[in-house]
Amino acid sequence: MSLQQIKTLAMSQSKRLYVTTMMQVVGRALQAISEQDEEIQKISSAFPEGFVFSMQVLPNGPGFALRKTADNSLEFLDDIPTEKPDLTIYIKHLEHAFRILSFQESTAQAFANDRMIVDGDISFAIRMTRALNRLEAYILPKLVAELAIKEYPHIPLPEKVLHGARIYLRVATNFISQQVKFA
Amino acid sequence: MSKGFYEFFCPVKVIAGEAALEHIPFELSALGASRPLLITDKGVRGAGLTDYVTTACDESGVAMVAVFDDVPPDSSTEVVKEIAELYRNSGADSIIAVGGGSVIDTSKGVNVLVSEGGDDIAKYSGAGVLKRPLKPFFVVPTTAGTGSEVTSVAIIADKSKGVKLPFGSPFLLPNAAIIDPRMTLTLPPHITAATAMDALTHATEAFTCLAKNPLSDAYALSAIRKISDNLLNVMDNPKDVEGRLELAQASTMAGIAFSNSMVGLVHSLGHALGAICHLPHGLCMSLFLPYVLEYNLSKDKSREALSELLLPLAGAEVYARTPEGQRAEKAIETIRDLRDELYERCKLPRTLEETGKVGRDQLARIADMALDDGSIMFNPAEADFDEVLKVLNLAWG
Repeated sequence: MSLQQIKTLAMSQSKRLYVTTMMQVVGRALQAISEQDEEIQKISSAFPEGFVFSMQVLPNGPGFALRKTADNSLEFLDDIPTEKPDLTIYIKHLEHAFRILSFQESTAQAFANDRMIVDGDISFAIRMTRALNRLEAYILPKLVAELAIKEYPHIPLPEKVLHGARIYLRVATNFISQQVKFA
Repeated sequence: MSKGFYEFFCPVKVIAGEAALEHIPFELSALGASRPLLITDKGVRGAGLTDYVTTACDESGVAMVAVFDDVPPDSSTEVVKEIAELYRNSGADSIIAVGGGSVIDTSKGVNVLVSEGGDDIAKYSGAGVLKRPLKPFFVVPTTAGTGSEVTSVAIIADKSKGVKLPFGSPFLLPNAAIIDPRMTLTLPPHITAATAMDALTHATEAFTCLAKNPLSDAYALSAIRKISDNLLNVMDNPKDVEGRLELAQASTMAGIAFSNSMVGLVHSLGHALGAICHLPHGLCMSLFLPYVLEYNLSKDKSREALSELLLPLAGAEVYARTPEGQRAEKAIETIRDLRDELYERCKLPRTLEETGKVGRDQLARIADMALDDGSIMFNPAEADFDEVLKVLNLAWG
């Protein structure tokens, strides 16, 4: 194997690791924000109870899935269900997922660039994208969030810090409890 | 600014111009078909437009094995099923759709059923479900606006469940779109105006929204120029064959542009308004176009693209004498002027109030529905409920 091939392989594996990790973070963060943010609960209120949303990289992942609960929050699922989710946003390639999750390409621009396809109700996909945008506005520094979403909303700094901290704490707790569960 | 990435796809053969309909028999035989089923609606047949198609085929020894002329204004799964049965019972081997958006969408659905089998069109709903080419399919548009003859989507209502089923597949595209000026020569003025504004909106949004790309841009610019150069002439001289052809071609070109670049907030609002107040799609587009462009501009989006549009919209002289920094505003003003001219000629409403069919108390519901419309994703400026409501209030009057 040439040095170039080794470099390429390492790069590809790093990207896969990054995308896998970020998918887990985004999925868990969506659960976290949905438990505390009324706006997200309003967004998910249109989904029927038990509605499963997933985001996956073609052809075989990585990805994550969430299920809507009775109180309009979104529950992170440890595994993508074998039964077809109600709505799936497929990202066509790992490279595209890397661009999106490293905020080089906003979700809207990724749709416009045909990086993603929707399997399910388009209006629900629009709602989920709105939820993702709101999440990104809270958990990313403003400079990064401005790259990830079309327009950075007005969020007072104390609210952003408090909200963001709660989401990160919830994600960390979720990760730790999963480690304990599998230990 | 160069586009980092884009996709562009349009495999439809466009047969346009005088005596274009007379090419249908040859095109059918090229695909090994000889027994077409003609699908249309009562209005189109009553206006004698299908006679041009059947005569053109008869003269080459191709007879329609059946004609279905009862497509309703909104395509439905039941009608699709009924026509598919007619197709099978009549021994047809191809489809010719003659009509506007509803006839074309219905025919796309029929082609799915007769090619894939079964009688439940809902099974094929969604994106990319179809995996192989369908039966030979030709579309003869009778309005110059929807561009459905070159789009790979169809919307068919399932009335029993009260939902609209979306279909998206490149296999839905017809083998050929036949653009013949005879088909639009007798369009009444208000339909000519509304459908042209539909095409203008397709091209404008294709050129100013997030998925714009160089190939779509070329189609969009050319479509806008054709509409600007010909619409008012055709309104004044409805029998202007050349002008009619130009508008019909503009509609097809705008269709190619938006099916590859998508559309934005004008369509989100228009879809919601159409669904709630049952107004024709073209009129909805005309009602919102300037207000949405102003909204996008107020958020500092699309200035460059809108400035470029001034040239095809208003011509070289106006473009040259308008300072660079004011061209975007001038482009919107030109669209407003065009709407005023159309109002003068055929009373095409310019505001929601002028339609007489929209209640101010319906605006919040329209805004809510518009926010969930797929096209909102591609609008260059973000819009939340309050902002969408503000646009609606401006469009009120």
